[in-house]
Amino acid sequence: MTATPETERDHGRGRGPAGSGRATLAVGVVLALGPLLLAVVGPALVPLVDQPRAAPYSSADGHPFGTDQLGRDVLAMTLAGGRSMLVLAAVATVAAYTLGIALGAAAAATRRRWLDDLLSRPLDILLAVPSLLILLLVATLTDRGAGMVVLVVALVNAPAIARIVRAVGLDALRSPAAEAMHLQGERWVVVTIGHLVRVARRPLLADLGARITAAVYLVGAANFLGVGLPPTAADWAVAVDRNRAGLLLQPWAVLLPAVLIVLFTVGVNLCADTLTRRRR
Amino acid sequence: MRRYLLRRGGIGLVQILVVATAVFWLAEALPGDAAVVAAGDDPDPARIALIREQLGLDEPASQRYLSWLTGLATGDLGSSLRTGQPVTELLAPALGPTVVLAVVTLAVLLPLALTLGVTAAVRADGWYDRAVSTTTVALNAVPEFALAVLLVAVFALQLGVLPATAVGATGSSLLAEPSLLALPVAVLLCRSLCALTRLVRAGMVDALDAEYVAYARRHGVTGGRLLLRHALPNALPPAVQQLARTADWLIGGIIVVEAVFAVPGVSSVLVTAVSTRDIPVVQALAVLFAVVTVAVNLLADLVCHRLAPRSAVVT
Repeated sequence: MTATPETERDHGRGRGPAGSGRATLAVGVVLALGPLLLAVVGPALVPLVDQPRAAPYSSADGHPFGTDQLGRDVLAMTLAGGRSMLVLAAVATVAAYTLGIALGAAAAATRRRWLDDLLSRPLDILLAVPSLLILLLVATLTDRGAGMVVLVVALVNAPAIARIVRAVGLDALRSPAAEAMHLQGERWVVVTIGHLVRVARRPLLADLGARITAAVYLVGAANFLGVGLPPTAADWAVAVDRNRAGLLLQPWAVLLPAVLIVLFTVGVNLCADTLTRRRR
Repeated sequence: MRRYLLRRGGIGLVQILVVATAVFWLAEALPGDAAVVAAGDDPDPARIALIREQLGLDEPASQRYLSWLTGLATGDLGSSLRTGQPVTELLAPALGPTVVLAVVTLAVLLPLALTLGVTAAVRADGWYDRAVSTTTVALNAVPEFALAVLLVAVFALQLGVLPATAVGATGSSLLAEPSLLALPVAVLLCRSLCALTRLVRAGMVDALDAEYVAYARRHGVTGGRLLLRHALPNALPPAVQQLARTADWLIGGIIVVEAVFAVPGVSSVLVTAVSTRDIPVVQALAVLFAVVTVAVNLLADLVCHRLAPRSAVVT
């Protein structure tokens, strides 16, 4: 699947460098927070800079970073363009966890070996096709748009989560604690899901950073390749794609959104890595 | 070994068959008539009727499915809705650049990940180890298109040292002009370097702690020979396994990187097919990429089996 260095099984001294965690975490938070704040607050600031349309790729007065391919103000487009990527990635991540936990719990809870196989195997097969390709295939066969992207991103991210939950669950659900809850007459679903999520909390959290970057990666790639949001949308990835032709004329139209995307993913990577190591 | 090979090969074949089946039935199951979808912005009844005929939509699905499978088995990947050309003809000129890009990326990735991983493991937790780990982690899974335009802006436009695109390149011209490959390969490396380096490092750290290395040390084996001859082979299997997953990322990455740098490879065929809803071409490419991924996984498993027969696990 995508972006998950599933190397957390190292043991012995191979745990990864310790000690430098705090500095790395601070850098990561600083890097990721900038784009994040801009994405959240930016859309509200757009009216402050909103400008009438000018010539494409111009550097006219009143446009501090010039204009884009359609003559819209680059600063305004950048302020407005972060929200879509982050919201789509967040919704897809939440959906992936919901789906992954449900599948993993079902596979772990069932006493029937064939059902476990039926739930786990197709997910393994899914891994044989690159996730971006699944996205493009679905985009060819059905209506494009944000909903389709979220659904596919959730689907391709779910197996990794399901696998973690299932691995933890195979032991946890046979444990005395789970038996006790059953005997106290708790409802089956509550016991299974609740207990599993509690037990699998750590590995799931350790994996969260990788899931977020994977979702941002795929959502961005989909929008860049033009199968997600419409080509006129205010979105950083769409902006990078649409304004590439003007890289020589008005580099800011491409560089601003590209820098923000890179800063955000690098920041999340650094945070996730430090937190992962601390949890062990 | 032979039994293992047969068994793994069989699993690989089943995987490909399942993918091919899924790719076919997905087109059937998704809402909307394939012909209407393929017609896209041009829903002219005559055109839709023509596409229906081209796709053979009047025949029962099961029959189309069988002919699709037999076609795949005999190397007939169907033909394009847009141009009517066989998919194999469309792909032939595009294969060169993509293969060159993938092979060169791997040829840089492997030695680089090995070197970084081994050197980091020698002084685990030292400043160098930390620097390597932080740098590779930071670059892990950064969207290629964003990174690519940044690199183009810096190296091609500001400094003028590297070409910005590879328009009109062929496989052989890419090899003749390494500068064309520099930026695409650099971007592709970033995504997979982290996991691979980390696994080599972890494996080496464990191997250097192991009994047999201590034994070799007592017998006076030192330095490079100790690292490469005694520790490394036992450190490699997990890294080789990761390499199989890396293949998946590379394929996805190549799709984006070719689009950014205008490399006329397989992905340009794919992106065009996606935007014009050329269903047969996209389906054929999905199966083709799945075959490549499965083959790489199989190869990785076999190499691991050779390196450490005890640890071979058939799932």
